[in-house]
Amino acid sequence: MKGKMVVIEIDEQGNSSMDLEGFHGSGCSAVAKDFQGRDAVKNIRNKREFYIQTTATTQHQEQ
Amino acid sequence: MSKYLELRTKLTEEQYLVEALRDLGFAPEICCEGAPLVGYMGDQRAERAQIIIRRRQLDSASNDIGFVRDGSGVYQAIISEYDRGIGFDDAWLGRLSQTYKERQTMAVAKSKGYVFKGREIIDTPQGKKIQLRFALR
Repeated sequence: MKGKMVVIEIDEQGNSSMDLEGFHGSGCSAVAKDFQGRDAVKNIRNKREFYIQTTATTQHQEQ
Repeated sequence: MSKYLELRTKLTEEQYLVEALRDLGFAPEICCEGAPLVGYMGDQRAERAQIIIRRRQLDSASNDIGFVRDGSGVYQAIISEYDRGIGFDDAWLGRLSQTYKERQTMAVAKSKGYVFKGREIIDTPQGKKIQLRFALR
């Protein structure tokens, strides 16, 4: 099973990105808060695997 | 759930700002109450700052560079037009922010118990990106 990883990329223009992989539930937000500090959030999005999970659980069978 | 966040670095912590300036080769002075900046003629200027790079560390015609904490706790740079023109510009401030953010990230990871998994430099058309990877215990 894939573990939980945090990948942070910091550019030369004063921006950074935080990629949180393998998280489920509220633990993700706590980790994001740890590394965000007082930085301004420009954008947040849920990753593809989140949408795949959501789609799988809401999919209905065609008759 | 897994997430992807984009952030804008704010220089808010004295420790990491001082460390970042040292990493870039300067020896900043720290004056908690703020000290006046000195101009290129040796004249004391009206501006005061809490973190100062004295002009002797810069160019012979440079003024001091200062970092003053604003009302919201964010350090703002005071850089003369001359010094901006010789390279202490937005690109320099960006590299300072990059170094600051790396210092801050490493310190947070250590204090919170994350496991450091590696550091990589990635070349992009916009410059070098620092990639840091951590695992959870």
